[in-house]
Amino acid sequence: MRQLASHTPIRATLKGVKEAIPLLGGYIPVSLSFGLVAMQAGFTTWEATAISALVYAGASQFLFVGMVAAGAPLWLVVVMTLLINVRHVVYGPNLAALLPRSRHWPWLMHGLTDQVFALALTRLPQLTAPERFGWFVGASLLAWGVWVAGTVVGATAGEAFTARWPLLGEIMPFALPALFLTMVAPRFTDKRWSAALGCTIISALLFTLYGWSNVAIPLGAACGALCFYMVKFQAQGSHA
Amino acid sequence: MSHALWLAVVASALGTLLMRVVPFLWMQRRLNSDTGLSNMPQWLGILGPMMIAAVLGVSIVPVNPNTISWLATAIGLVVTLLVWWRVRSLGWPVAAGVCIYGVVQISVALL
Repeated sequence: MRQLASHTPIRATLKGVKEAIPLLGGYIPVSLSFGLVAMQAGFTTWEATAISALVYAGASQFLFVGMVAAGAPLWLVVVMTLLINVRHVVYGPNLAALLPRSRHWPWLMHGLTDQVFALALTRLPQLTAPERFGWFVGASLLAWGVWVAGTVVGATAGEAFTARWPLLGEIMPFALPALFLTMVAPRFTDKRWSAALGCTIISALLFTLYGWSNVAIPLGAACGALCFYMVKFQAQGSHA
Repeated sequence: MSHALWLAVVASALGTLLMRVVPFLWMQRRLNSDTGLSNMPQWLGILGPMMIAAVLGVSIVPVNPNTISWLATAIGLVVTLLVWWRVRSLGWPVAAGVCIYGVVQISVALL
């Protein structure tokens, strides 16, 4: 056993599992809620679990079951689901230089959620090259497994669970902003980055507060990127 | 679930997977190619950290927004930042932030 644990790929995988644990503070309550909402919308436990396992994208899953329950045309349900998930397009290219080539990526990239991307983009540069593949496997599989298991529990015992521990569903999700804060904080390296990151955080927060939570991430990031380029433009202008 | 609904699930899953896989594989090939296009575009390198910051902005909104949960969020974030400043790691700041957030919420619930 000790021999196995000292093997680098396994150690790297375990490291990924360990470092993804803070993500579960957000995944468990949301997946429980999804299981519960899917049951209330008329889906069976098996169906809710299949949606979580196959689609594996929080906000779009809620939209999917909500639209189906409301009787929306299925083609529109698919289009809206994909539109919400289109932000994932920029995640892969950002990690491409950090991860080795492998024939397993076509199925492993299924685990590339918002949270796993944020964690990976922060941690992968700090790891050695041989550790990175195993780390990603560990972190993404833990997150996916807990998401699916949480859906099963939510669908079978979600009501009893939330009735017994009502505060748990409010406290645990705070692990996500706390984790993302520790990832963003080291990037406040100069005025330009600070302005752009601050602009992103505030605009994404405002979009969410005003009911645009489904598009808050791409729109917030676009506002920040715009700010980044505008600050550069003004700095050049003042020198001229 | 009807066959049509299963088809919708599979189409949504496949579309989402392709959006995750194809750009990743495309960039890996581009980085390893001999065409001279070996660098990632600058805007993409900027968009990555912005995406993380946006996820932070979205996740700051409490599950049930009210005065107490906003107060607990503000205190929790300050404590998280202070602990991060001291230890510069991911685990302990998150644990400290969640504990303080929980203490504020439970204290108010018990009052």
